[in-house]
Amino acid sequence: MSSKRHSILPAVSAGPKPPVHFSSSITIADSALLTGTNLITISSESVIHPRAKLDSLAGRITIGRRCVVHERTMLGAIGTSGKVTEQAVTLGDYVTVEVAASIEAGNTIIGEGTTIGVGSKIGAGAVIGKHCTLTPHTEIPAGEVVPDFTVIYSNGMRRIDKRGVADLKNKGQARQIEVLRRMIPTNPAKFA
Amino acid sequence: MSRRPPRGEYIETDTGNKVARKATLVGTQNIMLGGKTVIQPEVMIRGDLIRSIQSSSSSSSSSSGTPNNTAVAIGRYCFLSRASCLRPPGRLYKGAFTYMPLRMGDHVFVGPSSVIQAASIGSHVYIGAKVVVGEFAIIKDYVRVLDETIIPPNMVIPSFSIVAGQPARVIGEVPEGGHEAFELRELYKTVGNNPQPAAS
Repeated sequence: MSSKRHSILPAVSAGPKPPVHFSSSITIADSALLTGTNLITISSESVIHPRAKLDSLAGRITIGRRCVVHERTMLGAIGTSGKVTEQAVTLGDYVTVEVAASIEAGNTIIGEGTTIGVGSKIGAGAVIGKHCTLTPHTEIPAGEVVPDFTVIYSNGMRRIDKRGVADLKNKGQARQIEVLRRMIPTNPAKFA
Repeated sequence: MSRRPPRGEYIETDTGNKVARKATLVGTQNIMLGGKTVIQPEVMIRGDLIRSIQSSSSSSSSSSGTPNNTAVAIGRYCFLSRASCLRPPGRLYKGAFTYMPLRMGDHVFVGPSSVIQAASIGSHVYIGAKVVVGEFAIIKDYVRVLDETIIPPNMVIPSFSIVAGQPARVIGEVPEGGHEAFELRELYKTVGNNPQPAAS
């Protein structure tokens, strides 16, 4: 590859530019995709990787503190019900949304400290409790309520996470965010 | 009169790599392609997630201007299918979070929509569609990973195994005569701006 080129990022067609409310300490990659008409709020020290897509057509998106949203994710996708509510997607603090995960709009709430695994699909209106772990490719049907500290694995089986490591996970996430803030060139001004 | 050649779907480098124009490669200076590798459209490779802790020995070597910052190293004749994603695995190491390089061997086929976060993948590996390889997994040589497998983090898959399921389990072994099936030279010729028909 030519050394002058730093990245190959093909252009993606964008929708309407949404109103945003960013904290000053967030890291948002240049090629993150923010579309929609409602407010997108990102609280302090959260990280949005390149090519993450936040769509607020169906309602507001609120992302808590110290969240990490990886690439190819889709927050606020309009599901089959197609309903438009005031608050589309809410992420608590310390939430990690892994690569290619998809969270549908419609009052979907993800509790604090939860990890949404690679490629998972969260249906509209689902409520995920705190410090849950969703393994890759988990599908949560619409409206489902997942209690706190649940681990969902292997095609819908569940168990309760009794390790008591919630604090350690949060500290680990804070360290990860420190490193990511240095690595991902941030450009919040592009979306303001 | 001069006429520019028509823009093909792939960029062909002089080492024979075929990279699609619509692939997303972030941080290309940290991505090493071995040669004769095919990268299809919509592939995403995160080369910007480099190792953040540099060992002290690398700073003392004066021959290299910058420490080796490879994020993703890919061997020869690899094939990355559509919408797959390669990203280096990250962990808390000695108190700080750091990303480790992702190393792939030769003749690795990555199926469509797969997400690879392994630490290392050996040579002649076939990875099916929609596979998720967890962080710091190690896949040895001549392994066949079937479609929709989910390989948990830190799993080590021995050579010559066939792996499937969620979570992944070794379900069989590659038969004695099955080694030729992993060769990807023919597949490399069928892709690109001048695709040759597949040898039947």
